[in-house]
Amino acid sequence: MKLFFTALLLFAFSGVGIAQPAGSVNLVFSNVVGNENLVLNNKQYTNALGEQFTVTKLQYYVSNICFVRKDGSEYVVPQDESYFLIRESMPETKQVILKAVPAGEYTGVRFLIGVDSLRSASDISVRKGCLDVGGEGKDMYWAWNSGYIFVKLEGTSPQAPVTAQRPNHEFMYHIGLFGGIGVKSTLNNLRTAIVDFNNTDVRVKQGESTSISIRADLNPFFNSTTSISFAQNPVVMASPFSQKIADNYQSMFSFAGILLKKPASLPPKSASGMN
Amino acid sequence: MQFKVSILVLSGLVFVLAIFFSARTKAPLFNVPENFPVPEYRFAHNPLTEAGIQLGKTLFYDALLSKDNTISCGSCHQQASGFTQHGHALSHGINDLLTKRNSMPLANLAWSPRFGWDGGVHDLDLFPLVPIQNEAEMDESLPNILEKLRKTPEYPKLFAQAFGSPEINSERFLKALSQFMLTMVSANSRYDRAVRNEGVKFTPAERAGWILVERKCSGCHPEPLFTDFSFRNNGLVKTVNDDQGHYDITLRNEDRYKFKVPSLRNVAVTAPYMHDGRFATLEEVLKHYHSGVQHGETIDPLVKRERELGISLSDTEQANILAFLLTLTDEEFLTDRRFAESDLPSPSAINSVPNTKPTLAKTAEWPELMPVAETSFQKNFNNVVASYSDLKLALFKEDTLKASVAAQELLSHLERIDKTKLTSPQQNYYTTYYFRILLDARHIHKTELVQGMTRIMHQRDHFSSLSKSLYPLIRTFKLNTNPMVYRFCQGANQGQGGYWLSNQEDTDNPFFGGLMSRCGLLSNVTF
Repeated sequence: MKLFFTALLLFAFSGVGIAQPAGSVNLVFSNVVGNENLVLNNKQYTNALGEQFTVTKLQYYVSNICFVRKDGSEYVVPQDESYFLIRESMPETKQVILKAVPAGEYTGVRFLIGVDSLRSASDISVRKGCLDVGGEGKDMYWAWNSGYIFVKLEGTSPQAPVTAQRPNHEFMYHIGLFGGIGVKSTLNNLRTAIVDFNNTDVRVKQGESTSISIRADLNPFFNSTTSISFAQNPVVMASPFSQKIADNYQSMFSFAGILLKKPASLPPKSASGMN
Repeated sequence: MQFKVSILVLSGLVFVLAIFFSARTKAPLFNVPENFPVPEYRFAHNPLTEAGIQLGKTLFYDALLSKDNTISCGSCHQQASGFTQHGHALSHGINDLLTKRNSMPLANLAWSPRFGWDGGVHDLDLFPLVPIQNEAEMDESLPNILEKLRKTPEYPKLFAQAFGSPEINSERFLKALSQFMLTMVSANSRYDRAVRNEGVKFTPAERAGWILVERKCSGCHPEPLFTDFSFRNNGLVKTVNDDQGHYDITLRNEDRYKFKVPSLRNVAVTAPYMHDGRFATLEEVLKHYHSGVQHGETIDPLVKRERELGISLSDTEQANILAFLLTLTDEEFLTDRRFAESDLPSPSAINSVPNTKPTLAKTAEWPELMPVAETSFQKNFNNVVASYSDLKLALFKEDTLKASVAAQELLSHLERIDKTKLTSPQQNYYTTYYFRILLDARHIHKTELVQGMTRIMHQRDHFSSLSKSLYPLIRTFKLNTNPMVYRFCQGANQGQGGYWLSNQEDTDNPFFGGLMSRCGLLSNVTF
């Protein structure tokens, strides 16, 4: 713990007075199903098992973002500015703007899908913005087993069985659990997404803005290391099977190119960040 | 550099400690009792202030926290019952829905590393979200509550007093609730005063019980908190709802059917017992450990030694343990005005719907009638009721001295009641209410002066509570030969409402010297 504080202080001092050239990076998330854009409610898709489905809700946390430079060194986005909640239903949340990324050449980015254990176990005072359980994060939190829901995917499938609680063939995947704290141990469904820029020259230039398109594909969500069937597992929340889904969605993010222009219709992203 | 950093770290530490201690020395809002360990709660993150505690208390007792403004934290955590929901195996929440478990007592929360029967919550600050979101409890969301609070005229002021600005947010809301709950320290039972040598001595039975508890129970219920905060399977018979407790959180097979070890403090008033309230009395609990423990895969080794299930306890041992457990009742805690709903400066039900009906009138909550035919019980109980009538008359006449005498008589008649002549279900039912009657009658008798209240106010407050306990006994045991009326006066006790029992002709209101008009709403049930 002492070491941690020392490190923290050293870190704080190292930044003082040194103005590094920096630009801004927009990570633009596009949620898709294979080659098709995700459209909520009205569009039907088919999973690898041939089951049809529509999606009514998709939202997930992206946090602890880290860029990898060409020389292998890394730029870690400051912790407090590194929490974002992407909601398919709110286009403005699908752009993550990082204002001060040091200028340079980058080969990839990685981030946590969810909220790291340290923040999940932290004092309520450092849970603002999208982590505010009484605000933006209200529907992404389990009170009964204290922790954030990392990924929420809901929809309907004719193959999902009808029950009293789910009269319209609904399916629900709410994946969370950060491993617990102290003697309380839970499953750990935190997964790191590693997005390689595939040899594309991604340069961040001083004072300029670079938009990187990241594709989040639901096909790997349903079929990667495990095939998820709506008929077999229409509802997965805090159960051992949630690990399989987390393993699957770990590989759903990929690089989809540099966007030459900032999408005009989208307002700047800031509301759902920590600051 | 290393040197500089060390100085910085050190001065930072000194600063944090200074804040912590200055807050404590100025006003001892939270004291660690002499015989207690260091608390778990990180007070440095949430320094207690008087205004913060007061805000927390107002929130705790405000039904605005529930979807239809009918249920407050205090609905299921009642002070006189050690902050449990009295008489309910499973707690009743919104729309009278039954929850999955028995509400846990609230006391000494500053020392608890985990919360809830299943241990799903690691931080007291986060606990209120559980009942708020639970569909059978408050069925509300935090954003909605914050919005409701922002719209009241009172709360922005209270938040400003507590936190320096009227902003109402999640952190402030949750931390204020924590501040209030943290002050609920129970450490003044007879046991505490005996171990601290404060002039209290155990009786031989209590002492024997104490030694037995140390020998046979302290593996899970160690002093001074009387819990080790662990999760254990104590060998309960499985029930249809198959609640697996701690397993729901950890999903580890070894945690199936394990539940938090509750503290034994105030255990005499927190009936019923276990996570589902399956045992109505402490006698049943002791019987369970002696002869009711069932084998299970995750059974705790402390209740299964080799092939022997349970903890062998002779009848005398059980009686002695029981005597000791009663010394853990902290009357000061159970009646402390700092925690009492009726002590709120303004009826905090700021936006809440007042509870307009005597809650016990709902037939759904009544057990089956258990008429008592045993004559000595009837006779002694009738004497209790006669003293009660004297007490009521004295309060009607605002004669605190006569009220005190009547309460003393009531207590002496109560002592003569021999419950062993009753059937076992009757005994359980009786014990549930007996302790509350005892507590209230003692307070009325003592007429000690409580800050902010006159004697008559204090007596009337306890009289209402006493009436609420007497009513179910008379009704369920069918002890009245003539019809009686259970009455409710909404304006009584500074707007908290007052209950009393009378015969049909008698309309003397013990709360306002007969001025029924001051009640606002009046209601009654004849039985």
